[in-house]
Amino acid sequence: MELPSVLPTLLGLAWLVPLASFVAILFAGPRMGHHGRGAARVATAAIVTSLVLSLAAMVGWLSQHPVRNAVHGGHAAAHGSADGGHGSDAHSSSDHVASGHDGGSHAADHDAGHAASPVAYSGDWYTLYEGGRLKLSIGWYIDALTVLMFVMITFIATCIHIYASDYMHDELHDVEDHEVHLAGGGHFHRPGRYPRFFQALSLFCFSMLGIVIAGNLAMVFIFWELVGICSWFLIGFYYERKSASNAANKAFIVNRIGDFGMLIGLMALWGALGTLNFADTTDRAGDSQPGLFSLVRPTVTEHAQWVPDGMVKFAAADRIAVIVRKHAGDPRAAVDEVEEQLDTWRGEGLGRWLLLVAGLGIFCGCVGKSAQFPLFVWLPDAMEGPTPVSALVHSATMVAAGVYLVGRFYPVLTPDALLVIAYVGAITLFISATIALVANDIKRVLAYSTVSQLGYMMLALGVGGWLAGLFHLVTHAFFKSLLFLCSGSVIHACHTNDMRKMGGLRRVMPWTAGTMLVGCLAIIGAGVPFVIGTSGYYSKDSILAQALLFSRTNPAHWILFYAVAGGAMLTAFYMFRLWFMTFAGEPRDHHVHEHAHESPPAMVYPLVALAVLAVIAGWTLPGGFSIANMIEQARPAGTGAEEAGGLLFNSFTIPAEHESHEGSVHVVATWTAFLTAAAGVFLAALMYVWKVISPSMVAAVFSPLTAFLVNRWYFDELYAFLFVKPILAVSRLASDTDKGVIDKIIDGIAWGARQVAGIDSWIDRNLIDGLVNATAATTWSAGLELRKLQTGHLRQYIMFIVLGTVALFVLASMLFRSTLAG
Amino acid sequence: MGESILSGTVFAAGISVGPAILPGIFPLAPLLAFNPFTEPVGVIHYMIVGAVMFTAGVVCMALKRNALGVLMGIELVLNGANINFIAFSSPYLRGDGAPTLGLDGQLIALFVILLAAAEAAVALAITLNFYNNHATVDIDRADDLKG
Amino acid sequence: MTGTIRMDSIFTSVLLHLPAPTAPVVAAVDWHSVLFLLFAGLACGFAIAVVAAENVVRMALYLVFSLAATAGLFFLAGADFLGAMQLMIYVGGTLVLLVFGVMLTAQAPLVSIKPSASDRALAGIAGAALLAVLLAAAVSVDAWRKPGVGEIPSPTATPLGMALVGVRVDDPPAGAPLTGRSGYMLPFEIVSVHLLVVLVGAAYLARAKRRKTPRAIDVLASSDPPSQGAVLAAAVPAVRTTSGAGGKSALLGGGH
Repeated sequence: MELPSVLPTLLGLAWLVPLASFVAILFAGPRMGHHGRGAARVATAAIVTSLVLSLAAMVGWLSQHPVRNAVHGGHAAAHGSADGGHGSDAHSSSDHVASGHDGGSHAADHDAGHAASPVAYSGDWYTLYEGGRLKLSIGWYIDALTVLMFVMITFIATCIHIYASDYMHDELHDVEDHEVHLAGGGHFHRPGRYPRFFQALSLFCFSMLGIVIAGNLAMVFIFWELVGICSWFLIGFYYERKSASNAANKAFIVNRIGDFGMLIGLMALWGALGTLNFADTTDRAGDSQPGLFSLVRPTVTEHAQWVPDGMVKFAAADRIAVIVRKHAGDPRAAVDEVEEQLDTWRGEGLGRWLLLVAGLGIFCGCVGKSAQFPLFVWLPDAMEGPTPVSALVHSATMVAAGVYLVGRFYPVLTPDALLVIAYVGAITLFISATIALVANDIKRVLAYSTVSQLGYMMLALGVGGWLAGLFHLVTHAFFKSLLFLCSGSVIHACHTNDMRKMGGLRRVMPWTAGTMLVGCLAIIGAGVPFVIGTSGYYSKDSILAQALLFSRTNPAHWILFYAVAGGAMLTAFYMFRLWFMTFAGEPRDHHVHEHAHESPPAMVYPLVALAVLAVIAGWTLPGGFSIANMIEQARPAGTGAEEAGGLLFNSFTIPAEHESHEGSVHVVATWTAFLTAAAGVFLAALMYVWKVISPSMVAAVFSPLTAFLVNRWYFDELYAFLFVKPILAVSRLASDTDKGVIDKIIDGIAWGARQVAGIDSWIDRNLIDGLVNATAATTWSAGLELRKLQTGHLRQYIMFIVLGTVALFVLASMLFRSTLAG
Repeated sequence: MGESILSGTVFAAGISVGPAILPGIFPLAPLLAFNPFTEPVGVIHYMIVGAVMFTAGVVCMALKRNALGVLMGIELVLNGANINFIAFSSPYLRGDGAPTLGLDGQLIALFVILLAAAEAAVALAITLNFYNNHATVDIDRADDLKG
Repeated sequence: MTGTIRMDSIFTSVLLHLPAPTAPVVAAVDWHSVLFLLFAGLACGFAIAVVAAENVVRMALYLVFSLAATAGLFFLAGADFLGAMQLMIYVGGTLVLLVFGVMLTAQAPLVSIKPSASDRALAGIAGAALLAVLLAAAVSVDAWRKPGVGEIPSPTATPLGMALVGVRVDDPPAGAPLTGRSGYMLPFEIVSVHLLVVLVGAAYLARAKRRKTPRAIDVLASSDPPSQGAVLAAAVPAVRTTSGAGGKSALLGGGH
């Protein structure tokens, strides 16, 4: 079987099975077993099916495109992972492989070199709209990254489904919600919502896979919004709690702000380029229509980025108008001249801003979804949802969608946009890491950690580390979901989120403690330098290396490297602070400790599975396979090379990623990562294990700073002051206007209408009804009078006839005398 | 001529009685001068007989309380009408070759007789029914449908 | 001529116009007119007598005479067949029917039901007015006042019979169009069906009806009211049934 036809089928099925599960639970959920217990089985079966299909797709992919260039020198991702055996039989990038799919699949192998297109299959399942050159469709774009993301998402989702089927068992019977206080002083009772949870989870899996498989930006946007609504459902799962419903609304509204920017980006792209497809497509006439990637990085420039013709023309609209006016009678000549002038205009830089706006617009959406500064405020609040949701949606997958989209959209992003992304990531990572230092809620620490790690990924992407960012995305997904599930296990055992009440739990929860330690080691990037390490060790080091390379290339932007390095230390500190406070030492709250117990097997098995992956996800297998190499297969054409920017900033250069593997950079980066992490762990141990430094004393010494951090840099207050209060004021003004002015006017009109109606009613009652009644009364009385004539006396009737006849004759003789006389 | 004297007298009497309410009655005068033994009869004479019978029938209908009396009045009325039809159909009575109804008048009269017979049968049946139900033939008591 | 009217002058003038006894009366007498006068007088006189009579049997008798005299008038007018029909249908049929009616309803108190005097007065006035109107209308047309001296008509039985079956064999009246005269086939048929319907209808209306309650006429006719015994006899079966049931239930009640 042909891979181009098998892959869309496998992944399409993997994508749709959770939808079927969602529909089934939606309509039959409460009837699935006792209190809907079967809903978990349905959802789990669906996601396991998806996982199996995704694995099959991966096996298929690897069998055709083996990851062979697997020399993992130290821990550098090999660049230019050429698969000579395959690439040589040779599709040039403009070739289209005919296949059985509608729209035709596009497969373009890449050669050994950065200036080649990666292997990718694309096509359409269903066309939503087609008119002129514009086409909206449900399609696929499948490359190595897609396949990998599918496996990752379905694997984590499977673990979390299994975990949640036990974790959510409280929802199987009536629930007394202790966090909702009723007016009467009691607690809120409600039926369990077990099926509802898995229903939303299934819909989320479907939506997330939809983003990953999407073949065009419009489809991405559709599923982007779908995951948003799923997130809203799941954060607001305990919607009776004020905090939960607020958090759900906050997440949704903040994401809308980002999506507004994304819409601008979409409009810029569609308006100027007329397509939202990633890959080239074949139109009905059989001609190849370039997609976004080949428009921005065409073969003529050997995949170096340039401003597409459409954007140049868009920006040069006034000049084109002059030309058209000049060739008033000859459109052909005008077109020719415009074509001639295009390169000149491009040389002048026309359209560069439009490309920048498009890239930054799309990035805006990613800022919202991936909780980047300044829209990161929703993610910590999103921890109001059940912990499995936090693990799946708000750490491993959905928030990673922003990073994934930046990675997917990478070829279109200009160097300036990338630098903006890098700075946004740096700011995010620093702010959230500092807040995590002082947080006491175990899930909030992890939430800020997530924000911080997302900042890492963005920064990596921004400084040219396409592979580093996406690699970290995958590894982070494993260990962060592991960490969240562990925290869920702890919460499940302790019934509290407050780390100050925990401590010494390693003795009662050995499995949880062990797996969480593995997760912490992974997130700080622990490993034996240059030998072996956890998955974080590989991904984080490549980020550090790329950041260092960038800072060396552009000394003006030295801060980026120090942000990464500092962030690494902070990460190590707060993660081990978390672990020490929770599991090490002596119990702080005996009441909590006595009730704590190890979680049931259904919750522990996923922890173990994820822990294993958190360790080995970065390794290179003996056959040469590694996740990093597989991602490298999907590297967009032309993005491995150096690129210069300077539109927004002073001129700078984004270095080629493979240069970061060079020893001078790489060694420094590795040692930096190791030392910062070790320092962070050491500091945490000093404070929370050996208690050499008292945390409270530190807090007292730096009390203004602590307060600043505890209050999360006052971001919520700032936003409340800057946006929420003005909006509330404006809405109150509008409300007052509505009530005071518009309602009064309408009331006045209504009052007037009522008066008129009163007059009308009076006329109706007295004049018209009087007239009608008078007519009726007259008829009635006339009838009464005439009735008397009906005596029933036959002889009288005859008399009437006679008299009538006579009278008629007399009358006629008087009137027509002459006639009668004649 | 006495005839002229008489007519003149009646004419004068008509004028003297008052305003001409019934001007058509004045030409009646010559009829009073009709000599039944010497002059041939005309349509007018039959019409007078018919009028008298008709009037007698109507008065009979209006006066009799016995339902059968009313029926007899009806017969008289129909008969009076028939006389007129016969008179107008008779070429002898019209004289001078004036147009007549001819045979049509007689046929119409024939139908009238037939219908009168039918009517008499039905009316008699109704009368008997009425008599059976009310034990009387007094039509003054047949006022069940009065208003 | 004076403008005053004197009753004696009218009588005088009438007498003046009587044929002089010395004149050759026989030759001048128009027997047709004399017979007309006779029949007209009989017809009118008996018609008035019908009105005047108070006994319904006499009224019927006078009506016979009046209608028979009318038949004579028909003969005089040349309608020989119609006169015969008048005698046969009216005098022989309708009147017999009426007499039957009289006999069937002639209970003693009903033979003469007298109208009130005021009714008589009103009817007289109305009749006089009607007569005046009719006469006025009759004499108002000059052409009708001419004495009849036309041809003596031939017997009409044959033309009438032919006309009734749809064939006109009579001469058209003077001045009438020759074409377009129709026979009377259709009216003849309609009348025959009509008569049949009337026959059935009258028989239905007048049939002796079975009734549960005694007719009013019977109750009135019988001098004594229905005897108690007859009523009891009629009610006996019902009473018996009722008492039987009652006894049974009483027995059952006693069993308890």
